[in-house]
Amino acid sequence: MLQYLGKRVLRSILTLFIILCVVFILVRQMPIEGYFPNYQKMTEEQLKNGIHQMGLDQPMIVQLYGFFKNLILHGDLGTSRIYRNNVPVAEILAPKIPISVRLGALSILFSMLVGLPMGTLMAKYKGRFFDHLGTGFIVLIQAVPAAVYYLVIQLYGTELLHIPMLFKVNNPVSWVLPVFSMSLGNIAYYAMWLRRYMVDESNKDYVTLARIKGAGENRIMFRHVFRNAFVPMAQYLPTSFLNTVIGSIYIESLYSIPGMGGLLVDVIKKQDNAMIQAIVLLFATVGIIGLLLGDLMMVLLDPRISFTKKGGDR
Amino acid sequence: MNRTILSVRGLHVCFFLRGRTLHALRGIDLDVYEGESLAIVGESGSGKSVLNKNFIGLLDQNGRITEGSIRYYGMYDKMKHNPAGGTDEEGRPYCDLAKIARREDWLRIRGSEICMIPQDPMTSLNPLKTIGWQISEALMLHHGMKGQMAKDETLHILEEVRIDHPEKRYHQYPHELSGGMRQRIVIAIAIACQPKILICDEPTTALDVTIQAQVLELLKELKSKYNLTIIFITHDLGVVASIADRVAVMYAGDIVEIGMAEEIFYEPRHPYTWALLSSLPQLGQRGEELYAIKGTPPNLFTEIQGDAFAARNPHALKIDHLEQPPYFDVSPTHRARTWLLDERAPKVEPPPALKKLRTLGGAVHD
Repeated sequence: MLQYLGKRVLRSILTLFIILCVVFILVRQMPIEGYFPNYQKMTEEQLKNGIHQMGLDQPMIVQLYGFFKNLILHGDLGTSRIYRNNVPVAEILAPKIPISVRLGALSILFSMLVGLPMGTLMAKYKGRFFDHLGTGFIVLIQAVPAAVYYLVIQLYGTELLHIPMLFKVNNPVSWVLPVFSMSLGNIAYYAMWLRRYMVDESNKDYVTLARIKGAGENRIMFRHVFRNAFVPMAQYLPTSFLNTVIGSIYIESLYSIPGMGGLLVDVIKKQDNAMIQAIVLLFATVGIIGLLLGDLMMVLLDPRISFTKKGGDR
Repeated sequence: MNRTILSVRGLHVCFFLRGRTLHALRGIDLDVYEGESLAIVGESGSGKSVLNKNFIGLLDQNGRITEGSIRYYGMYDKMKHNPAGGTDEEGRPYCDLAKIARREDWLRIRGSEICMIPQDPMTSLNPLKTIGWQISEALMLHHGMKGQMAKDETLHILEEVRIDHPEKRYHQYPHELSGGMRQRIVIAIAIACQPKILICDEPTTALDVTIQAQVLELLKELKSKYNLTIIFITHDLGVVASIADRVAVMYAGDIVEIGMAEEIFYEPRHPYTWALLSSLPQLGQRGEELYAIKGTPPNLFTEIQGDAFAARNPHALKIDHLEQPPYFDVSPTHRARTWLLDERAPKVEPPPALKKLRTLGGAVHD
């Protein structure tokens, strides 16, 4: 197990390295014009100076070496030149990350607290009123564009519940609407899949045996079916995890939340190479950790899945 | 003869499928005696499993008992205040399983009174729970056992079903065991419930021949040890011969012949039983094709006129197509539902091949 984990981590680092190299090289293929907002008015001399400042005139391999040297030896992510003028990237990201992470984590927690019981009850009362109600909710959430119900929640939430419209880190009440909006999609998602897996499981032979044994319906649902249905749910963990840091561009702009929402797109548009690399590094790391956690959870839940056995090694 | 423990009278079960009605059981009469082993044989779709599912209240959702009663005598007066409870003409308290409506009432019967070993041991165990947990669960549900006590009892039961290294198996998961072992675990779960009646739904179909024999031997042993009444559902006549005291032959949702195992094997009276026995591969002649019953069972969506087997029966009489035969008693323990036993019927000899069964006798009751 430990040996497997070690291997997994080493491989993850290699993956990160490759991702960073690819992104590093790709952003350097973008046209030079993009780096200078006032490109039209610049003289040949100014351009040359600017490119030299950014180190773009050096051979690719030297640039790459410099980047990794700074990153690994000094933990230096570089300096933003365009998104913000001459501010270290770390300084820009530092206050944003915790906000998005907290918001996302709260939302995941809330969606699990609501979505999982909802899915369980839907499976338990399959074909009855509660199931239809839940299905209606899921279809509504999946079919209506998120932006629409985000707006509705903001409008009525602020008007009827008198919750402040703008987000303030220190005001817990102002967290309610964004977290709720962020959770709706996940609630529907968790409930839908859990219901589906639980219905699948409850048609299996071992459930019949449990019934023959004399176990009651509640016991069968919670002690037998739930855990077995939860195993395939583990594969959704990495995505959920990733979403916590990426943030939601809609929600963050609706409530003026200073988080990470839409930041990557923004810096790509502005061709801020150092920012792009740093954010990609962050997202890739979180994604890989999410995958690892998902796999670990599967191993913990299902004795048939093993890391150490031959053939179990992925 | 022992006392009756289960008494089925005029049982009709229908399934409702997209507005059509399938008449799966057409008036079953059956008595099961305490401590016996009864085999129910018949081809697929004859209603063997449906009949037994009624005993544990696990009929499929679209199925319903439309008529009849299933009196279970094992609970003494535990069901006195239940609408399904009652006392029969001899003053014996019973519980009518056909009348049980509430889930909670079934929980008092399933497992602890009547238990079943399902067909496929490979899929019948929960893959995510240890063997020990699954057996202890039964102990907890029916005897309130917990902790060390439950563990000790579980280990004891594992030894009882001849699982080696019980202490090790206790912590293992189903996927770590072989098919035969899993079948023993399923049996262990049934034993842990300590039922009075054990229904074995084709307990050996999924196993290879050597394991089959071991499992049957084990069941025989447990039967005498725990004074179990066992009902075997099977289409393997070899299993029947080696374990059953009595045999009921089912065809198209009805019991066409029932009697002691010897009577069914040596003196069968119903043409369907003849046909069934003739298809035993042991009776085949070298160089000749094995016997197979021609035709297919009747469609149970339509009302059956007369004897259900008439259309496939080479000895069918005119009346077979018109009216359903009643039961004719052959001996106090043996009766068959065929007009051939009527005194007005012509004399029809059973197929000569069946005589070989007598000479093969040893093979039947080995």
